[in-house]
Amino acid sequence: MSISTSDAILLAHAAFGITGCLAALWVFVETLNAQPENAGRIRIAALLTALSVAGAWICGGYWYVHFYPAEKALILQGPWPFAHNLFMETKEHLFFITAILAFLLPVIIRDKLYSSAAARKLVLSVAALIVITALALEGAGAVIEHGAKLALLRGGAKGTQ
Amino acid sequence: MNSATDPESAKLTAATSGFVLAAIIAVLFNTGLAWARDAYAPLNAIMKSLTGNPWIAHGVAVLVLFGGLGFIFSKTGAAERVDANRLTQGLIGSVAIAGLGLAVWFAFV
Repeated sequence: MSISTSDAILLAHAAFGITGCLAALWVFVETLNAQPENAGRIRIAALLTALSVAGAWICGGYWYVHFYPAEKALILQGPWPFAHNLFMETKEHLFFITAILAFLLPVIIRDKLYSSAAARKLVLSVAALIVITALALEGAGAVIEHGAKLALLRGGAKGTQ
Repeated sequence: MNSATDPESAKLTAATSGFVLAAIIAVLFNTGLAWARDAYAPLNAIMKSLTGNPWIAHGVAVLVLFGGLGFIFSKTGAAERVDANRLTQGLIGSVAIAGLGLAVWFAFV
């Protein structure tokens, strides 16, 4: 088995992303039943969300700058050029929205959620937006990788003819 | 303290309201900058010259705007006068508009 640096960084990017998504879901569930007793868990989950998304940004950004240009050229020559033109172009900018929301979360959970309906509503909204946008990013990542796979399969099929 | 019988607060702290307002602005700025970079190549070239890759400069600009405005709004209490529900609705609306704005732009423009 051979796992290259590029593979490890890309897998770490996806792993950090899904961890951030699950941590935001954890914040959402804890906030539904916010009490003084679970304030600590909400803080931990919010911090985990922010750190995971920061990790996804660093790994994804490094991979995008150093390894993606070759894959981009491959996708654009393949049968699914929209995997780059639509999905990657949207993903690379939508990610910043998810990141802002993730960095906002540890700030807004400092309000006393158990005694503030307005703060609870805000935290529930931000956590839900992180989950929804993160799932969209994960889905876009799958389409981009499938675009590269189809391009390679087509190239491979041509090579065998 | 019995949290079940405490009166519920309808207000947000200065830090929370300040950073939420900053997030609304940064989210919309992010989409606007993506449109501008895509439509105006010289802007992309300028951003590339700053960090080597325009996407890095884009991310730094959005992050600095969010952090900077959040800090300023928190210290000045500028967003405290805005109703808490309005801020929440504004954030949801800005994320929806900005996200769909990106997808529609790259799908059709």
